[in-house]
Amino acid sequence: MKKILSIVLCLVLLLSLMATTVFATEAEETEVELLPNQLAEGEPTGMDPVALEDIKIGFVHISDPSDQGYTYNHDLGTQHMAETLGLSEDQIVNKFNVPESAEAATAMRELAEDGCHIIFSTSFGFEDYAIEVAAEYPEIEFCHATGYQASSTDLPNIHNYFGAIYQARYLSGIAAGLKTETNLLGYVTAMPFPECISGFNAFYLGAKSVNPDVEMLVMYTMSWNDPTKEAQVAQALIDQGCDVLGQHCDSTAPATTAQANGVWHVGYNSDMIDAAPEASLTSAVWDWSQYLIYAVEHRVAGTAIALDWSKGLAEGVCDISALNEAIIADGTVEAIEEARERILSGEWDVFTGPLLDNEGNVVVEEGVTFVEPASAPSFGHILEGITVIE
Amino acid sequence: MDRFINFMNAAVLAGTPLLLGTLGEILTEKSGNLNLGVEGMMFMGAISGLAGAWFAEQWFGWTGVPAALIALLISFLAGAFGALIYAFLTVTLRANQNVTGLTLAIFGTGFGNFFGELLGKRAGGFVTVTSATKQAFAKLDLGPLSQIPVLGRLLFSYNWLVYLAVIIAIMMHLFLRKTRRGLNLRAVGESPATADAGGINVNVYKYLATVVGGGICGIGGMYMTMVTTSGVWVHNTILGYGWLAVALVIFATWSPARALYCGLIFGGLMMLRLYLPIPGVPQQIYDMLPYVATIVVLIVMSIRQSKEYAQPKSSGLNYFREER
Repeated sequence: MKKILSIVLCLVLLLSLMATTVFATEAEETEVELLPNQLAEGEPTGMDPVALEDIKIGFVHISDPSDQGYTYNHDLGTQHMAETLGLSEDQIVNKFNVPESAEAATAMRELAEDGCHIIFSTSFGFEDYAIEVAAEYPEIEFCHATGYQASSTDLPNIHNYFGAIYQARYLSGIAAGLKTETNLLGYVTAMPFPECISGFNAFYLGAKSVNPDVEMLVMYTMSWNDPTKEAQVAQALIDQGCDVLGQHCDSTAPATTAQANGVWHVGYNSDMIDAAPEASLTSAVWDWSQYLIYAVEHRVAGTAIALDWSKGLAEGVCDISALNEAIIADGTVEAIEEARERILSGEWDVFTGPLLDNEGNVVVEEGVTFVEPASAPSFGHILEGITVIE
Repeated sequence: MDRFINFMNAAVLAGTPLLLGTLGEILTEKSGNLNLGVEGMMFMGAISGLAGAWFAEQWFGWTGVPAALIALLISFLAGAFGALIYAFLTVTLRANQNVTGLTLAIFGTGFGNFFGELLGKRAGGFVTVTSATKQAFAKLDLGPLSQIPVLGRLLFSYNWLVYLAVIIAIMMHLFLRKTRRGLNLRAVGESPATADAGGINVNVYKYLATVVGGGICGIGGMYMTMVTTSGVWVHNTILGYGWLAVALVIFATWSPARALYCGLIFGGLMMLRLYLPIPGVPQQIYDMLPYVATIVVLIVMSIRQSKEYAQPKSSGLNYFREER
């Protein structure tokens, strides 16, 4: 009897834990059309203009520059913005290591009470809290990176920004496709969200454009910044025969793991050659300073920031970092230049058909180019040749 | 076969910091001190070990092995310092053990993150050690031993901390089982009044076991910063590992020898998703496996009621001679 009871207890426990498990849901895209309270870019906001030397700027980051990736690079953008606009150090308030929970709202309220005129929140999961706090502080501008809800939220002071990073990933994929010897790429990515899926598709298409035989394995870490898990996932991919790793997660752990195993790596966010000089081929990188300068200047003038801001390769917001000349395959420079010209010509983009998903369905017809409707990537089909290991 | 070896390697690497934390806690609990602050002591060891190696590089120009040894020493001292606070509060001042342990866990977490960020600021952005020091924590090349097919990769392809952890486990087992002092320590943990009557200095045993145990937890923390995140301070780097180590103590039924393979099982459960993915089973299910295993062991143990593999009887209770 006792035995049966204990088994039942175990099962009940297991099931109740399963029931509470959170499953990620995909974001729905909405048409961009101004709602009653929203303002078109450049319209006066009714907020008091501030002098440049008086403006105070707040940032909420999920980690700190020790990730040498996402937050590090975003902070470089902040520094560049401060230099360009001639801001002093005490005009910028950073909140590092803020989890994607109610603490994020607290951090933003603290920044607001601290006198910030404009607040940037840089991680996907901060968006709901940014909207919540934006409604409480109508005289403060809130800018959220990687999000998608600003256009559907009827608030004049919340904005999204991101860009066409898939173009840079496509270019970086070319370096990977030419370098691989096993014809098997590995990709360490964070979450099963369209932002990540669009990214690895672009990376894979870049590799495939120069190496038709290449295939790719993808594994999720389920966390934007967890170096331990990133290293473990990278190791697992290498153990399955991948010899070039791509990544969409915040730290350099995949790069250092690749180097420790004598394989190669393509980074994200920042130049990772310093972290892994014998492994890192190049990285898909952001220049966030462009947006930061743009948004701060609008706040200074008291004019509206675009609801949804997206720029790409053409404007230099996304690009690849310097190639690691010592280890890239022959012909990499030429192949990337050729692809760059193609994208810059404006006649061709990464998601041009025919494209099949990995179940054989046509997702982009021949002759059609899929264009992202908003700044947040929405291309959520997993393409042929890619295997996601759940 | 290849996949199995890779899986075992990953399991050992993931299980080692847990093993060290567990060994420290087993030694502590054997003296009757239920120190729940493993997480805190691991955090303290983690940042202090990294800071020790970093300052050794900055001030003395020591890189590689000397810096690694400094990291080992400082992390041990930091963990021991955390445990000393605990021992002073619970043994000398007879504060409540649970509350003190929980406080130490919170204190250590703040200690680690505070000094981690301070050090990062000082280093200009983030703190990282030189590649020579990182190399000192890479897998060892044991020459012909590492070349043996299968066995070489299975047993002789780890960093030196893995072997250190195994040696500590074996020594602790021999100490508790085969030596007079080990017997005394167990007596203190089971029934301090009896031990006291037998002429054993209870407080000395409690202090020493707790402090050395804390030091071993500190080394476990250092493993996380120096091996797992390769010499970079990452915010909240330990998060959860200390609690897993406490769970592992129960799983290992307070035996350092059992902790060896229980650590491997825990490491394996953590790695299972990456090497044995079952389509349709979400990661969260895999993540809770170690905890489910602990609960199952607890239930099984409560059914078996074994006297030998149980928590030391006075664990969690303070000893006061005048109180009968």
